[in-house]
Amino acid sequence: MQYSRSAQVAIWIYVVVVLVLLYLPILPPIATSISPTGRQPAITSVTFKWYAQLANNPMLIESIKTSIKVALMVGFITPLLALSAALAVRELKVPRVILLLMLLPLFIPGISLGLANAFFFQQADISPSFWTILVVHVLWALPFAFLIVLTAISTFDPVYLESAYMHGANRWQAFMTVELPNILPGVLASATFSVILSFNETVRTSLVQGPLNTVQTYIWSRYLQVGLSPSTYALMSLLILITLVLIAGLLIFNLRKGGSERLNA
Amino acid sequence: MSHGRSARWLLFAAPIVFVSVFLLIPLALTFAISFWERTGFTIKPGLSLDAYKVFFSGVRLIVMQKSLGFAAVVTVLGLLTAYPIAYFLALRVSPRISQTCLFLFAVPFVINPIIRNFSLAYILGRTGPVNSFLTEIGLIERPLDWLLFSDFSVILGLTLSYMPFMIYPLWLSLTGINRRYLEASWILGIPPAKTFLRVTLPLSLPGVFAASIFGFVGTFGESTVPIIVGGLGYQMMGNTITSTLDVLNYPLAAAMSSVVAATMLLFLVLWYRMFDIQLFLGKITLRKF
Repeated sequence: MQYSRSAQVAIWIYVVVVLVLLYLPILPPIATSISPTGRQPAITSVTFKWYAQLANNPMLIESIKTSIKVALMVGFITPLLALSAALAVRELKVPRVILLLMLLPLFIPGISLGLANAFFFQQADISPSFWTILVVHVLWALPFAFLIVLTAISTFDPVYLESAYMHGANRWQAFMTVELPNILPGVLASATFSVILSFNETVRTSLVQGPLNTVQTYIWSRYLQVGLSPSTYALMSLLILITLVLIAGLLIFNLRKGGSERLNA
Repeated sequence: MSHGRSARWLLFAAPIVFVSVFLLIPLALTFAISFWERTGFTIKPGLSLDAYKVFFSGVRLIVMQKSLGFAAVVTVLGLLTAYPIAYFLALRVSPRISQTCLFLFAVPFVINPIIRNFSLAYILGRTGPVNSFLTEIGLIERPLDWLLFSDFSVILGLTLSYMPFMIYPLWLSLTGINRRYLEASWILGIPPAKTFLRVTLPLSLPGVFAASIFGFVGTFGESTVPIIVGGLGYQMMGNTITSTLDVLNYPLAAAMSSVVAATMLLFLVLWYRMFDIQLFLGKITLRKF
């Protein structure tokens, strides 16, 4: 099973090339947002005036508030649902059905998911609001959060629970004092991931948002109406940077906790 | 104890109820609405096939066929790109490096695909870096037109959007393979290529299938990428649904969306019946339940 050195090098080059191709599109919006023209990427002279303009846009500020509120709620609700689903996989007799159900939103195109929910809310006489956006975002984030929590739970040996029962703990106590502290990093990771996914969602949101806007749907509707403007580039760059910061936080947190060992146990 | 019991059931039921109420019922409702009747700007329950007649008789059928074709191409391209990466990360490097690489592939995936495709449009544009570079080195005399707002750019945009996530199911099924099978094959003196075709590839099929469903259905229903890198008039299934909504033809939008969702469900049921989803997630759900 030995691999020749050149084959090894070739495949590494391939992996790096694909990664570069995937990361390359992150740069132009940032380089454009700091260029004086605001239309073409430039790094010869730097300006932050397009960022300053963002603050003067009340509609945008509203959409940012909505995005943050939704993202925080999604980051709170989704991990709880994911945790309870992951425990249900272990405790209930129908693991395969639960697995399939939880992964389902992942396989449904955004447009179909958004449309289905739009019809549902319309027929149930629920007018589009913060809450309808929230529901759609939780649905979208759930499969990812679920897989992350499931990974954390599978590396926890239930034998520790047995031991807690023998010491007189009931199920709830055993879970709270023994299991939860062990799987907490996974739960927090799923929360962060849910926030990131919520913060980057457009298509599903646009169908159930009614009069509201999130930052992403604001960008999309501006694009459809007037194309990309310098301040839109600034906004996109901010979103990219926030996402990268959240991911970096997740990575640092996981490295400290020895997250990579946990995943491979 | 009975109190604790019902609390426990409530806890376990919550996510199941959530997905059922906000996903299964809405999908079923969409299917029902595809048969409803249009009266002016409103819709009322009925058993009309009008939406499907319109769908399958006009230009939308051609759009669907084209979308199916594109979805197939993008899925194959995605598999061809992702499989070697997944294979390498699952079987050839240390777990630590593999974790880091998987993480690196996840980052671009979570950044809004819309933003990434705006960039792609710039990169491929007439005045973009690719064209400038090619003119600069004298390979072409004037900018290539087919780089952007073409079938090429749409396929590239869709592949770059969906391929990163296809790595994960592939990696998952490849890491689940018992190494002893591969060692046995090696001991028996079977050449690596044959081991791959007869042992590794068949054992990784659950992942190949899962990645394919994700890529295929995702691209089949994608509504923004075709607009951004295909141009405003570029018609694919997803953005045709959006434009149908803009003219308030709800049953027709419902019919088209249901066809997309039904395609997905069909594949998913096949997957569920052909492979053990629990075994597939083996790495994650290794515990005996």
